[in-house]
Amino acid sequence: MDLSYTPEQQAFRAEVRAWMETHVPKEPLVTLECREGYDQHVAWERTLASGNWGMVTWPEEFGGRGLDLIQWLIFEEEYFRAGGPNRANQNGIFLLGPTIMEFGTPEQKARFLPPMARGEVIWAQAWSEPGAGSDMAAIQSKAVRDGDHYVITGQKTWSSRAAFADWGFGIFRTDPESKRHKGLTFILFDLNSPGITRRPIRQLHGDTGFAELFFDEVRVPVENCLAGEGQGWNVAMATAGFERGLMLRSPGRFQATAKRLVELYKANAESASPAAREAVVQAWGAAQAYAYNTYAVAAKIMAGGKIGAEASLNKIFWSELDRAMHRTAMQLLGAAAELKRFADGSVNQWLEGYIFSLSGPIYAGSNEVQRNITAERLLGLPRVGAG
Amino acid sequence: MDFRFSDDQLTLAESVRDYLAGTHGPEVLRRLDAEGNRDPAIWQGLADMGLTGLLVPEAQGGLGMGLVEAALIAAECGRACLAEPLVDSALVGVPWLVARGQTDGLDEVVAGTRRITVPHPINPWLADSEGAALTSVDPLRNLAVAEATEADDLLLNVGALMSAAQLVGLADAMLTQAVEYAKVRTQFGQPVGAFQGLKHQLASCSVAIEFAKPVVWRAAQALEDGLASACVHVSHAKLAASDAAMLTAETAIQVHGAMGYTYEVDLHFWMKRSWALCGAWGSRAFHYRRVEEALLGGAQPIGPEHTFA
Repeated sequence: MDLSYTPEQQAFRAEVRAWMETHVPKEPLVTLECREGYDQHVAWERTLASGNWGMVTWPEEFGGRGLDLIQWLIFEEEYFRAGGPNRANQNGIFLLGPTIMEFGTPEQKARFLPPMARGEVIWAQAWSEPGAGSDMAAIQSKAVRDGDHYVITGQKTWSSRAAFADWGFGIFRTDPESKRHKGLTFILFDLNSPGITRRPIRQLHGDTGFAELFFDEVRVPVENCLAGEGQGWNVAMATAGFERGLMLRSPGRFQATAKRLVELYKANAESASPAAREAVVQAWGAAQAYAYNTYAVAAKIMAGGKIGAEASLNKIFWSELDRAMHRTAMQLLGAAAELKRFADGSVNQWLEGYIFSLSGPIYAGSNEVQRNITAERLLGLPRVGAG
Repeated sequence: MDFRFSDDQLTLAESVRDYLAGTHGPEVLRRLDAEGNRDPAIWQGLADMGLTGLLVPEAQGGLGMGLVEAALIAAECGRACLAEPLVDSALVGVPWLVARGQTDGLDEVVAGTRRITVPHPINPWLADSEGAALTSVDPLRNLAVAEATEADDLLLNVGALMSAAQLVGLADAMLTQAVEYAKVRTQFGQPVGAFQGLKHQLASCSVAIEFAKPVVWRAAQALEDGLASACVHVSHAKLAASDAAMLTAETAIQVHGAMGYTYEVDLHFWMKRSWALCGAWGSRAFHYRRVEEALLGGAQPIGPEHTFA
C-alpha cells in the first residue's frame, strides 16, 4: 500500500490545475436541461476537446489521452476543484464509448469515437420504455430487418439528453417471437432520422432534460448494430456495468459538494442545529470514504482485476450521499431554501442540486434493484421469487 | 499511489483467518464462557503463529511488521471474536512500547510469557488488566479497573485504530451469520432471505461495511507514516467502523428473528463485543469531536484535491 503520489502524478496534477484554472467558465453555466444551457455545455465540451481533455481515459487513437485510472482520478479531482461543469457528453464518455471499444468493429470505432471525443456528436441513451423501467427485459420496441436496414417502431422514454442530443443508442427487439433477455439488439441511431419524434418531458423543476422518443418506421442501416443481432442484452449489461461502476460519478464531485457544504455551514453556523453540523461532518467523511474506495477499486483494476456486482454498492453509496448532502444544505439555508435565486440574484445551486439528487437513487438502475443485486450476487441470497 | 495490500499481507491475513476459523469457532467461545474465559493453549497457539510478536522488532525475535499488517490481523481477530487479549497486548501495547524505545523484555512477549496492557485515561477499564474486576456485557471480556496517569496520543490512536479494525471484522462476521441464517430459515414457503425486506437491510449493511474498510486501512497507513493528520483519519475510521458494526448487529438480530434473541444462536458473542469496542478507546462523541474540530477549525484541508493530502 502506497498512498502517496509520484512526482509524475504531481506534475500531471499541476498541468490539469493550470489548464482548468484558465479555461473553466468563471460563472456557472445555465442548467444542461434547457436549450440555452445545453448549448453552453456543448460549447464547453468543445473547449475541453481543444485542450485534449475531453476523453482522458480513452486510447490516443480514438482521441483520448490514454490515461490510467489514477491519472483519471487526479484529473477529476482537479476538474471538480476548479468547479468544472457537468458533462454533456457523459453518455458518450462513460457509456457508449467504452461499449463501442469493447464490442464495435474497427469501422464503427473509427466512425463514432473520434467525433464523440471532439464533442461534435452528443449522445442520448434510450433504454427505458413505458412498460420497461427497472425491468428492462420487458422491452417491446421492434426493429424489423428489411434488406440492409432495420425498421424501428415503438417508444422509448426517460431518455437523458434526448431533447437536444444528436444521436441515440438503445436496445430493440429484433426477434418478434423472443421473450425477455433474448432477441434484443443494440442499435445506434441518428436522432434526426425521418420517423423519430422527440417529445421533451417537462421535469419537476420545469426544465426538459429528458424526452420521450417515438419511432414510426424509422430506417436505420444494419451497420449501426453493435455486436451482432440478438446480442443486445449482453451489450446493455456491459454498458450498465460501466455506468454504475467506477466512472459514472467520480469522487471529486462529492468532495467538492462536501467542501461547499462546510462553507455553507460556516456561513450559517449561528442558526444551524447540532444535527445539521453533524450531518456536515458526516458528509465530508462519506465523500472521503467514497474517494478511498474508488482509489482502491482503481488499483485493483489496474492490477488486472475487474469490478462486478460491487458496482451496485458504489451506486447506492454515492446517490444516497448526494441526496443527504443536499438535504443538509436545504436545512442550513432555512427560509432561503425555497428561493430559486437569492437576493443577490445568484442561482440557488443547492436547490437545483437537491432536486437533481432525488433522481440519483432512481436512474442508472434504481437503488432497490441495486440492493437486490448486492443481496443476490455479493451476499448470495436467493433470487426474488425463488422458492 | 497503490491502494492495495501486498500479496504477502493478504497471505498473512488469510493464514490467520484460516487458523482462527479452524481452532476458534463458536464452540470454543461457548466453552470459554463456561470455563473461565481464558485458555493458555489458545494463547500459546497465537504465540506459535508469531502473532504475539507481530510488531516486535526482528532484533527482539519478532516479525517486525507495521500498523497496516496489524490492522489486518486485528480485523481477523474481530471476525473470530477472539477473546484472548492479543490485540490489546500485541497490536496496541507493543507498538507503543517500541515507539518509546522500551524494547527490553519483548522477547518474552514474543514467546507468549508476558502480556502488555497499557492503561490510558480514556479507558476507565481494560480487558485483562490488574485492577478490581468489573462485569462487561461481553462475557469473554475480563474487564478490570485501569488507573492511568499518562494520556499518550499515540497510544490512544493505535488503540482506536485497532478497535476500528476489529469492528469491521466483527461486522463482516455478523453479516455472514445473518446471510447464512436467511438462506436456511424458511417461512411462507421460501427462505426468508428471498424477501426483499430482508435483502435490502442486509445490502445496506454491506454498503456500510465496504465503505468503512478503506477508511480503516487509510488510517492505518496514515498512522504508520506518522502523518500529522493521522488522528483525524483514526477518528474517522473509528466512527465509520462503529456505525457499520452497530447497524450490522441490529440488522443481524432482526434477520435472525426470535432465534437471534437466544443464547443458542452465536450472534450475541459478536454483537456484545461490538458494543464494547464501540465505546473503547474513545467514544463516538470523542472521535466525532476530533473530526469536527479538524474539519470546521480548518486544520484538515478539504476538497477534491485533498483525498490524500
